[in-house]
Amino acid sequence: MNMNHEDQLAALVDRELKTLPPLSAPPSLAPRILARLAAQTEVAWYRRAWPTWPPALRAASFLVLVALFGGLCFAGWQAMHAPGVTAAAGKVSGAFALVSLAVNTLSALGNAAAQVVRYLGTGVIVAAITAVLLAYAACVAFGSFYLRFAFARR
Amino acid sequence: MTDAQQFEAFLRKHQDHVFSTAMRLLANRAEAEDVTQEVFLKAYARFGELQDSPTAGGWLRTVATNLSLNHLTRYRNRWSFFSELFGGRDDNEHESPVDFPAPEDVEVELDAADRRELLEQALRKLPAAQRVPLVLFHMEGLGYEEIAAKLGVSLGKVKTDIFRAREALRKKLEPARESLLGLTA
Repeated sequence: MNMNHEDQLAALVDRELKTLPPLSAPPSLAPRILARLAAQTEVAWYRRAWPTWPPALRAASFLVLVALFGGLCFAGWQAMHAPGVTAAAGKVSGAFALVSLAVNTLSALGNAAAQVVRYLGTGVIVAAITAVLLAYAACVAFGSFYLRFAFARR
Repeated sequence: MTDAQQFEAFLRKHQDHVFSTAMRLLANRAEAEDVTQEVFLKAYARFGELQDSPTAGGWLRTVATNLSLNHLTRYRNRWSFFSELFGGRDDNEHESPVDFPAPEDVEVELDAADRRELLEQALRKLPAAQRVPLVLFHMEGLGYEEIAAKLGVSLGKVKTDIFRAREALRKKLEPARESLLGLTA
């Protein structure tokens, strides 16, 4: 690139762009923003986003949440050491036996799939993955072509 | 004067600059209006600090720039891949000498308002990949490194995009000026 040409062009564009005055905002913009602010301030604090709450309420709600979290942790720790909890846990685990059955079934299906892969060999798997990638690339290519075509017709 | 009235005065004082920044970066009026609104909602939350600050204008423009860039990143990334897949490269990068008419002649031949409108139009027609670094460099006063960091691209790409943008502006402005001069002559 010719440095002289670049410098000339940069200086020229800089001068031209810096002469541009600010664009006028549409007349409807200020009323729109003020209306939005009015609507925002009319909404009760508890219905607004947390960062927009009054600072005292934010601090108080934060302390309450911390206390709740601490209380829950303490209660959980106490419950773990309470008598009868182990028996109750056993009952709960019985209820989850169905989940365990589902996990076993999925595991068996997974093993079967692994066997199929071993039987077919890696060549078939690679071919399948290649076909999927080619299909994806074709979608991207057709999509791009269509988009360019659509914009070109505007 | 109530707080609401003071904020309204503040808004009316700065809205053109904020809107210009957003409009020149986004090249879309509706999106620029949305960004301007977002900027002033943020400003309202900090109006206590901004109200009498001499740097309020700079703060507003920085927020407008950042929100515009976020907007471009968030909503346009998915399209940029497609739109720039074939059109992002400017292959005819020939180096012709800069041949704008001298400013004095331009002022004689063209009305200043027409010239500014031509430039605004040419700017809006640039692809975002070129327009955004150009505006950040020439109008927002950012350096190449800052632009590269803000846009998350390499320094080389920023320089190339700005160079291409300048060339594209020159190419777009020259024929338009010639036809305008032809019409007004």
